[in-house]
Amino acid sequence: MPYPEELVRPMRQELTSAGVKELKTAAEVDTFMAEKTGTSLLVINSVCGCAAGGARPGVKLALQSIKPDRVATVFAGQDTEAVAKARSYMADIPPSSPSIAIFKNGELVHFVPRHMIEGRDPKTIAGDLVKAFEANAVAK
Amino acid sequence: MGTFHTDKSALHGITVVVDTKGPKVYVGRCDDEDEVAVVLKDADVHEDGHNGKSKAQYIERAAKFGVWKKFDHIAIPRAEVASITRLGEVKPEPVRAPEPAKVPEQPKASADPGKALVALTENAQTEVRRLIAEQNKPGIGLRLGVKGGGCSGFSYKLEFDQKKEGDVVVPVSDFNVFLDRKSTIYLRGITLDFQKGLQGKGFVFNNPNATNTCGCGESFSV
Repeated sequence: MPYPEELVRPMRQELTSAGVKELKTAAEVDTFMAEKTGTSLLVINSVCGCAAGGARPGVKLALQSIKPDRVATVFAGQDTEAVAKARSYMADIPPSSPSIAIFKNGELVHFVPRHMIEGRDPKTIAGDLVKAFEANAVAK
Repeated sequence: MGTFHTDKSALHGITVVVDTKGPKVYVGRCDDEDEVAVVLKDADVHEDGHNGKSKAQYIERAAKFGVWKKFDHIAIPRAEVASITRLGEVKPEPVRAPEPAKVPEQPKASADPGKALVALTENAQTEVRRLIAEQNKPGIGLRLGVKGGGCSGFSYKLEFDQKKEGDVVVPVSDFNVFLDRKSTIYLRGITLDFQKGLQGKGFVFNNPNATNTCGCGESFSV
């Protein structure tokens, strides 16, 4: 059951204010994923304070150091159609939220599941993301 | 960074590996733990050797990608638990995405929200009604619960009591049954019967969640 939008809004804005595009429908996800050139970062946001409370500032911090070609987010438990569509692009991976995926030329090359986020501080999460991005980024 | 819920254990919200003293190992998000049980949400279970995978191989795979849930929630009796480890600590580095493979069939979640929480047979209702009347205390109801111990891991608790804060109340004809929230995990779907006569056992719990019940019927495991 979705949470009240008033509760979720600040959690959405925490990412969108950092330039992360929010995808609320399956069609928006498809459009985002159709652009395959370069590196895409997709954040599966969630309400969970235990993990997403660290993930969002972690992503924001990472984005100060890395510049993916595209960055987007879907909100688990809220925008279910968009999340299901996003997960279809990583169908071999058990769903978890929050989680973070990196796609290179349209192919999933790195995935940070929830259990690698929970209990970690934003700086550590950002550090892991930067490392993964640098290992996988498309040379320009 | 730990839990944001002060009424839960420190592992609340953390994905953990619960290894048992037997062949099973569980991976799921810890909801709570105490001396009675470890309660996991969105959990999977693996039995040593199943699909040719040892416990260690299963845990290694889980640490890379997570698990496909088999249970919305599951309670593992504390007496069976050998160790609890954070899954994120099994292998600290996130790893590359797996090669495309056959998508595993997603098991159905075990929760059945439509299922009645508890039921009492006619015999049990009659006996409870008689005992309540005998006590002559306004507001009194039947309290059902579980506690750790007994030959099969958990023991049933049955007493007459007033409603307490946080109780789940199940109205049964002209009296109420009270359950504390934790016990609802173990008692969902249970039927309480009362067996009369010389060979009768008195109150008897028929618990669909129990995988083992001891001979006396007073304890069970799930």
